[in-house]
Amino acid sequence: MSEAPAGEVDGPATPPISPFRTALARVASVVRPVVRFIGAENLSLVIVLAIEIAVIVSQTKFFLGQQNLLNSLGQNIAVLGVLAVGESLVIIAGALDISVGSIAGIAGVAAALVVTGTGSMQLGLVAGIMAGICAGLVNGSIVAFLRVNPIIATLGTFAAFRGVAFLIAPNGYPVGVGTQPDFTWLGSGRILGGGGFVGIPIILIILIFVAIVGHVLLRYTDFGRSIYALGGNATAARLAGINLTRVRLGMYVFCGMTAGLSGVLLAARTTSGSPLNGQGMELQAITAVFLGGAATTGGKGTVVGTVLAVLILGVLSNGMNLLGVQQYWQDVATGMLLVTSVAIAQFRALRSERARTRIASRG
Amino acid sequence: MSPPASTEPPATPVPSPSLGLEIRGVSKAFPNVQALSDVSLEARSGEILAFLGENGAGKSTLLKVINGDYQPDIGTLTLDGQPLRFANPLDAHRAGIRVIYQEPEIIPGVDVAENICVGELPGRGGFVDRRLLETRVRADLDRYGFSAALPMGLMGDMLSPAQRQLVEIMRAIKSNVRVLALDEPTSSLTDDEVQRLFALVRRLRDEGVAIIYVSHRIREILQLADRVAILRDGRLIAVRPAADLTEEEIVRLMVGRDLTAMFQRRRAVTDRVVLRAEHIASNWHHDVSFYVRAGEVVGFAGLVGAGRTELAKVVFGELPRDSGSVFVDGRLVSIRRPSDAVTEGIGYAPEDRKREGLILMRSVLENASLAVLQRLSRFHFIQRRMERRLAGEYIERLRVRTPSLEQEVGKLSGGNQQKVVLARWLAAKPKVLILDEPTRGIDVGAKAEIYHLIDDLANQGLGVMFISSDLPEILGLSDRIYVMQNGRISGELPGPGATEEQVLALAMVDHLSRADPVPKSTAPEEGLAG
Repeated sequence: MSEAPAGEVDGPATPPISPFRTALARVASVVRPVVRFIGAENLSLVIVLAIEIAVIVSQTKFFLGQQNLLNSLGQNIAVLGVLAVGESLVIIAGALDISVGSIAGIAGVAAALVVTGTGSMQLGLVAGIMAGICAGLVNGSIVAFLRVNPIIATLGTFAAFRGVAFLIAPNGYPVGVGTQPDFTWLGSGRILGGGGFVGIPIILIILIFVAIVGHVLLRYTDFGRSIYALGGNATAARLAGINLTRVRLGMYVFCGMTAGLSGVLLAARTTSGSPLNGQGMELQAITAVFLGGAATTGGKGTVVGTVLAVLILGVLSNGMNLLGVQQYWQDVATGMLLVTSVAIAQFRALRSERARTRIASRG
Repeated sequence: MSPPASTEPPATPVPSPSLGLEIRGVSKAFPNVQALSDVSLEARSGEILAFLGENGAGKSTLLKVINGDYQPDIGTLTLDGQPLRFANPLDAHRAGIRVIYQEPEIIPGVDVAENICVGELPGRGGFVDRRLLETRVRADLDRYGFSAALPMGLMGDMLSPAQRQLVEIMRAIKSNVRVLALDEPTSSLTDDEVQRLFALVRRLRDEGVAIIYVSHRIREILQLADRVAILRDGRLIAVRPAADLTEEEIVRLMVGRDLTAMFQRRRAVTDRVVLRAEHIASNWHHDVSFYVRAGEVVGFAGLVGAGRTELAKVVFGELPRDSGSVFVDGRLVSIRRPSDAVTEGIGYAPEDRKREGLILMRSVLENASLAVLQRLSRFHFIQRRMERRLAGEYIERLRVRTPSLEQEVGKLSGGNQQKVVLARWLAAKPKVLILDEPTRGIDVGAKAEIYHLIDDLANQGLGVMFISSDLPEILGLSDRIYVMQNGRISGELPGPGATEEQVLALAMVDHLSRADPVPKSTAPEEGLAG
């Protein structure tokens, strides 16, 4: 017990003041608020993203073009990003939602049906989101009331919701919305364009909005706190008087809502409410959340991390497209990225766990 | 590493003291606790030696040293004169030493025969030779008269606790055991099963095995053991032949400390009953009634497993209740889950703070404010300044040593972790606070602070339900004491003036012989004045 483990409670001794240190302090005072927003645990993601961009920029000049950044990249990550923000809450709470891709499918069809029926973009949007909320309620009820393991529960609804998407689509065919410019504007519209500037995609603004909502929810509300508590130690959370049933319902509803929204966006972008929409996206969303630093056991993770991970995945695929790398190699790269990053995180967690037990055993 | 004692049976049964297991000058320290200090005794072959002591006296640590789970800091073990050095329990097994814990490892999906021979199944060409296996196991079972009690084909998950013990004992016998230690083997057995187990133990003794028998049941020990070793605070107090001891004498030897200086109590008991539970029945309890008044510290004493923690959890809504009612401030309340209890003004600081109390990976701040999130929030937004002030106030008042409120709770020491749990409940300002073993595993200094805090809280009008297995602290702090035994309240004592002997007698001595086994708890009006 002689070694001094990291994180020991005694602070370091005050160091002598040197010019170098004051300069360092000045830099630190600028950097610190930025780091605090991103979160120290997400710094490695920022570094990965920076390296990735540096490599791609050194290979192709097209990457930094605004057409590429705002169109190809911006629009591509938005649908996945919205989905992943909702998934973050569920995973941080120590659960999982495999059904989000299927929910997106339902929402896309529902929105397309309402839009083609009424001609109102707003009603379509609301219909898609409502469909997502209902699906989330179903997931939440199964997990919270029937006490089914979240993986099993949403594996079931993953299949069932996909079926529902086909059932509500007329004869199972996609509902085209190409004739509804108001609606497709959600997916491909831009604002603030003019001069040499192509404009900011609406869909990117929606992602930013959803990310902020998710971030605020997790960080500044009692609901968010309860999610971290539930994921960190469900028994302790319950014994502290937190109503876990309500938290579980709430998080699945939020996740369903974002899945619904992303289904609407997907339909708007592809100009079609297809019951096949969103297939495979649940796995991409889950990948992004884990890449973003969420713990598989729950209790850890941030929306900022998830969004950074979505960016990393988006830049990777965008850059490889620009460089003409085969799709198969992109899949391999994505997979390796996830496994490597989680392996590194695991290694670091193990190290800090050892330090922790060493301290704890000191009484 | 260890001498192959099992391959060399004692050919010459010389009745020398070196025959059997000899423990010489064994000490073992844990952070802040000297679990064993300089313990020397021998478990002789052909003898049953009982270990007795209060919770925390060092019995379990000693067993773990014998079993190779722990290495002694100093001191030696010798078996039949050969020095032993175990790196792990497997070494101990090889040397012929077996410790059977309360919950034996049984493989659920495998039958008794294979469970007994696990690890050494007779094989033939990669397949288990069932016929040979069954012949061997049957021979063993017949030899000890257990073929009826332990059907060979029964699957592991169908076994009763008694049968599980038997499987574990049969495993030990098969491996040519020289020293067999049993840790509280009868705690889940029926009387009939106990008698059968005793018969087996005696028979093994007569075959020359050294038996170590650990139990809380004094009467049982007097019935079975040849010699009794009494431990207290990690020291060996006495080793006497069982024939020379009486129940009262044993209790007297187990007790005896002076810690009174740590317990300063101001009496602040009022007439207002803040918590009353009536006729609580559950999986763990039969008709338990008790009450806690404002300003009162009510101790709940009893052995581990008597149902105290479960009682707290039933009242708190964490464990299901079959019948009975709970009143808070005289009002009947419906508590179906812990959040209901918190809303009604009950707080519960659990025994196992790491598993049940804290979110280890989250900050001190988040852990401290967990029970008051709703009160701190406006439109679900946490008012962060208020949160910091509230949490900071109690963290400071409890003198939690942490570099900042942002520190991960898992990185604090045990005593400081416990204080974070307490800070949470102080911030919640409950009417009744249930403290379940609040001083377990923390150092003396932190203990004294927590005692002081409990006194403070009672003085401010809180009702405290104080569960502890540490008798001196129960006696030193409680205004009134309930003693529990086997899911019942076996007696109620006034705090001041109660003695350890009284509490132990109520907790341990079997009331089955008495006419009225369960003294009813008195109503507050008839209760003693604070």
